[in-house]
Amino acid sequence: MNTIGADIVLKTLAEEGVEVIFGYPGANTLPLHDRLAEGPIRHYLMRHEQAAAHAADGYARATGKVGVCLATSGPGATNLVTGIATAYMDSTPLVAITAQVDSDLWGRDAFQETDIIGITMPITKHSFMVRDVTQLASSLRQAFQLASTGRTGPVLVDIPKDILSAPCGDQPKKIPTAPPKRIEHPEQIERIAQALNRSERPVIIIGGGVKLGDACERASEFVQKAQIPFVTTMMGIGSVASANGFNLGFIGMHGNELANRTIHQADFILALGTRFTERSTSVIEEFAPLATVAQIDIDATSIGKNIKVDLAYEGEIQDALTALIPLIVPREREGWMGRIRVERDLQEAKLKDGGCGQAGNLIRKIQAAMPRETIVVPDVGLNQIWTVRTWQSHSPRSLLTSGGMGTMGFSVPAAIGAKLGAPDRDVVVICGDGGFYMNIQELATISSYRLPIKIVVINNGHLGMIRQIQDLFYESRFTTSELGETVDLTAVAKGFGIPAERVAVDEDPAEAIARMASAEGPYMLEAMVDQNNYVYPIIPPGASNMEMICGK
Amino acid sequence: MAIEERTISMLVNNQPGVLSRIAGIFSSRGYNIRSLCVAETTNPEVSRITLTSRAESDFTEKIKKQLDKLVDIISVTDFTGAPAVQRELMLISLRLTPENRREILRAIDLFGCRVVAMSEDYLIMEITANKDKTAAILRYFEPFGVEEMNRTGAIAVFRQKREG
Repeated sequence: MNTIGADIVLKTLAEEGVEVIFGYPGANTLPLHDRLAEGPIRHYLMRHEQAAAHAADGYARATGKVGVCLATSGPGATNLVTGIATAYMDSTPLVAITAQVDSDLWGRDAFQETDIIGITMPITKHSFMVRDVTQLASSLRQAFQLASTGRTGPVLVDIPKDILSAPCGDQPKKIPTAPPKRIEHPEQIERIAQALNRSERPVIIIGGGVKLGDACERASEFVQKAQIPFVTTMMGIGSVASANGFNLGFIGMHGNELANRTIHQADFILALGTRFTERSTSVIEEFAPLATVAQIDIDATSIGKNIKVDLAYEGEIQDALTALIPLIVPREREGWMGRIRVERDLQEAKLKDGGCGQAGNLIRKIQAAMPRETIVVPDVGLNQIWTVRTWQSHSPRSLLTSGGMGTMGFSVPAAIGAKLGAPDRDVVVICGDGGFYMNIQELATISSYRLPIKIVVINNGHLGMIRQIQDLFYESRFTTSELGETVDLTAVAKGFGIPAERVAVDEDPAEAIARMASAEGPYMLEAMVDQNNYVYPIIPPGASNMEMICGK
Repeated sequence: MAIEERTISMLVNNQPGVLSRIAGIFSSRGYNIRSLCVAETTNPEVSRITLTSRAESDFTEKIKKQLDKLVDIISVTDFTGAPAVQRELMLISLRLTPENRREILRAIDLFGCRVVAMSEDYLIMEITANKDKTAAILRYFEPFGVEEMNRTGAIAVFRQKREG
């Protein structure tokens, strides 16, 4: 067979270390799909392109490698959009490849033609339209380079069908690139160290960037040496081992009251890899009013984007911490730690069940039944907050959640990617009934590849978080949030070939959980929960992080 | 924060879609581009884009960081308040009457404008000046009944630093 553009694509992907692609064929991808059979790359046929993007995202979150998804032009490409946006908001390294109509058809409203570059411009780091087969390898290499360096994120490569099928010669091998230039400003690190050493009530905020920058070990070392308490953002959960007494939980709208209250009293904050989104800070003017704020981030645009910072360092978090650690003078801040201990006892007494009710108990039991290294993939809504508040993450790549975008329907396809990326680890989905419906077709993918993924659908017959907000802040007018209970989800799962059973969380679900945990293949557990099982505390809209409420 | 006119100049790869990415950075943050000028530089692979926008004083820092992240942008320079020569080109067409003819021609001379087309009752003039001056000239001629006006938007070049 003569070499064509499609072979160059596959060769370049293999060179970049790609083992798995999540995709869906169409007329314009066919030159590429046709040649897949020849090579070492495994292609997983999803049941929807959105799911292909989420699966590539889940794969990247579980492995730290670049995830790859592939779709055809037109609707195939536009179906990727939600998945690409999800990856963009959480800075997941992703390369999305789309096929485009033949170059001589551009701009003629050809069948399945769409300007996917234009559509995805605000949600990609960069994109390439390949106009010449000789540019194919270099565009793809640049895409991988961009996706995986700096603040990581999605890059799209759009390839017309005629270029995929164009005969061509071998393209020059990858030239090893020089490692990215490191920005060094030791005096900025020194200033941060001095301010930290002087502070009486310091707190570290650990954001998602710590995981993304592979700086978790350094961050643990830093916490241990400095003896300083830390909070995380939702994306930062699990970055630093929880069981060292310094972890105050996560901040924000659905976070831990201890974390929010401690930040409010702090006189110094060191923010690592977080952009201070409004979900973390609520009213920014009332966030950490007493603190000198130091921010370390790889992305210049994240520094000072949402909060006024007093000290900043732009660069790799690992490098920054490596430079910072020797400059820190460990010091006992007995008064500060004492205050935090008192506050912790107070909060624990106030919120005996962790604020998640029976649903929280269910999640605790599930975790207890699963191996320690299990990856949990929550969906979005109450199920997500119950999970992040309850599940104890022991390692950085154990909790995969759509934070920035809050994409319902993320969990099932992302779990597929996670399982294929980390086949030795167990993967549990914790999903609500609403999100489950949104990518329910992926049960077919799980079933046909026999992927041993455990799916827990916590079913309250409602869009639970919407219901809670309506209950609290819209005078209990429950419009458009009831999904009803007419559907037998276990029958649906069984129809897809996945064993399933239904339990009620307030009866003892232990045996069902044990059956799920010990199942060889995929398994689905539908756990019925009361519609009034909300999550507390919560911050009312427009209120500050100090105004968490614990009930109606 | 004080809102004022800002002039930003960029060197970019001369490729399709680059302007669209830059425009996206401005529009998604709610900034309106007031004027825009794009042309190739002496290197045909590189274009220079000069644009102006009204914004707060932290705008340049924030927008510059965003622009710096775009792969096709080579450099970004802020000309606001910098020692630079700024110029824009404006064309104005006017209807001439026996009554206003003399005054208009005199004003054109005084302002240093140039007549580029003229007939008995019609005239097109050209003005090259900084934005304040073009604005003042336009204001002066408006009462005479400006038929049409078009201008390029600002371009800018730094003044050469003196040696020593």
